[in-house]
Amino acid sequence: MIEYDEIENRMVLKLVYYGPSFSGKTSNLLSLHDILDREGRGDLMVLDTKDDRTIFFDLLPFFLTAPSGLKIKLKVYTVPGQVKHDATRKAVLQRADGVAFIADSQISEETNNFESFKNLENSLTFVGLSIEKIPLVIQFNKGDLHNIISEVDIGRVWKPTGIPIFLASALYGWGIVETFSKLVGLTYDYIDKRYRLKQDHGLDIETFVQKLTCRSEEREQGGNG
Amino acid sequence: MRKDQEYKCNHSIEYVVGCEKSLREIIREDEMMPLLKGAVRAGAAAVKIVDSEGGILWEYVDTLNKGVFSEKLPLHLEGEIAGHIVIKGEKETNLKGLSELLLYTVKIVMNNNLKRMLTAEIHTTVVNQSYEELLETNRRLKISEKKYRELAGSLEKKVQERTEELKMANVKLIQQEKMASIGQLAAGVAHEINNPMGFISSNIGTFRSYAESLVEFINAQSEIIESFNPTDAIEGLKEKRERLKLDYILEDIKELIKESLEGADRVKKIVSGLKGFSHIDEGDKAIIDINEEIERTLHVLTHEIPEDAEIIRDFHSLPGFTCNPAVLCQVFLNIILNSIQARKKGLKFVIRTGCEDEIIRITFSDNGPGIPKEIRNRIFEPFFTTKEIGKGTGMGLTVVYEVIDAYSGSIDVESQPGKGTTFNIVLPLGKNAKIR
Repeated sequence: MIEYDEIENRMVLKLVYYGPSFSGKTSNLLSLHDILDREGRGDLMVLDTKDDRTIFFDLLPFFLTAPSGLKIKLKVYTVPGQVKHDATRKAVLQRADGVAFIADSQISEETNNFESFKNLENSLTFVGLSIEKIPLVIQFNKGDLHNIISEVDIGRVWKPTGIPIFLASALYGWGIVETFSKLVGLTYDYIDKRYRLKQDHGLDIETFVQKLTCRSEEREQGGNG
Repeated sequence: MRKDQEYKCNHSIEYVVGCEKSLREIIREDEMMPLLKGAVRAGAAAVKIVDSEGGILWEYVDTLNKGVFSEKLPLHLEGEIAGHIVIKGEKETNLKGLSELLLYTVKIVMNNNLKRMLTAEIHTTVVNQSYEELLETNRRLKISEKKYRELAGSLEKKVQERTEELKMANVKLIQQEKMASIGQLAAGVAHEINNPMGFISSNIGTFRSYAESLVEFINAQSEIIESFNPTDAIEGLKEKRERLKLDYILEDIKELIKESLEGADRVKKIVSGLKGFSHIDEGDKAIIDINEEIERTLHVLTHEIPEDAEIIRDFHSLPGFTCNPAVLCQVFLNIILNSIQARKKGLKFVIRTGCEDEIIRITFSDNGPGIPKEIRNRIFEPFFTTKEIGKGTGMGLTVVYEVIDAYSGSIDVESQPGKGTTFNIVLPLGKNAKIR
């Protein structure tokens, strides 16, 4: 958690999209930005400096208020996937409340996925977090491509970890909100244990997830109906 | 918590990426004021930016102008309403356009500043982290360097130690070789002496019986001549007998032969002693009587032992001890030689042996000058000698120690300077001997 201020009644959470380079982390945020409702969501900030990729990362902020008046800001970050930007990854990962690991479904990328996941484990340890405890989901992106790892194989390798797995295509927008919803839900459970969001702030998990993942068309439909 | 955050965000270079910032932190006064002035110049009466609580952050008022209409637009920061733009003026239509323009401009400034701040934030964090990591790497390298230094240092010491050991082993080997060749020489000499001694003693034996026959015959002759009583002849014979000192000769022949035989016997004994000492016939391992071995060693040293030396043997019967006899004899030889060399006149040397509870105890005591206390714990060290350079190898007692140790035994020394020295050797019976 980046910040919790009892007097200001304010909480700032951080989610991080992690994964090997070009697995589609930014595409995930872009897709979320497109699909989700503008209400309570800030603009996507893309820090894409051409010369220095060290500070290449994206930020998609969300904002909601609990019935108690508790203001919750949720900042979703991506990290650069290139091996050499390890320091940036560690910097962004500091005080994270949840991680979405975006893997590349292509068969040729299997090794990179493993290496990146190993790197995530190390980085988490480095910033004092535990991969066992932190809310974590895995998404196999680029599901629209051919030459991809089969669902059976993915399940065989990753299921034993007990981490929720999603197949997705950021390009076509499927599986993206599902991944995000699950991560947000897990993060709620994680935070609720300590900050009693439901008990003290009247914010239950359904509302929390729904507020953060409200699709633009749902609102329009809801508005019309 | 708030204080801690402020500290982290504002006063320290340590950031957590994503720290919350207020509008005041994001936009500077000199960036905002020209925008507000511009809006007033474009026709607004008053413009202000308020925070979410309604507190005024920035304000610009045209005192001549009194606005009746007002427009209020929310200012979003990361999805949250962080404040409002409040604009007042005389014409309503004008105000709406102005406020939207102002909002849009403020947003651009805000987003640009945010990007810059985030970039700086992450850059600083990365640089700090890299610096910390470098420091850590440096620390680890220093530790490892220290380790290698120590290793290198101790390596030198180890090499020295090993060199000493090798030197010692080499000297020991030379000593053993020497002993072995002395033994072989002794055996050879013994063998060579044995042959002539064989026929010498045999011949002397034969000569004795011859002489006995001769004496008997001469005596018989004398008796017969006397019985005839030929005075002249008797006188002549008597005179001749006296002149030839025959009576003396007849007596002395016996004595001479007896002494010769005794001498030959002694030679035999020495030879067999030499043979025994070199154990040329027995190979490496034998069951021996330690008392006999000590006796043998003393025998070999007969000529080294001063004439006036008093050697007291307090031997008790011992069970057989399995060992390499030559090696054990060397132990006794080295200890006895040390005592002999330490006192030339009036040496009193006591050797005591005994066995109790499967343990053989041997004690060598002399009344020599003793060993000074300061060197007493060094006497078993290799190359340690009190003799002149070139006289002693410094290996004598080292060999003693090594041999006793090899048989799982122990040796200690008691000494009183001016009074004497005692070596106590303990040898356990049984099968725990480390060498053959």
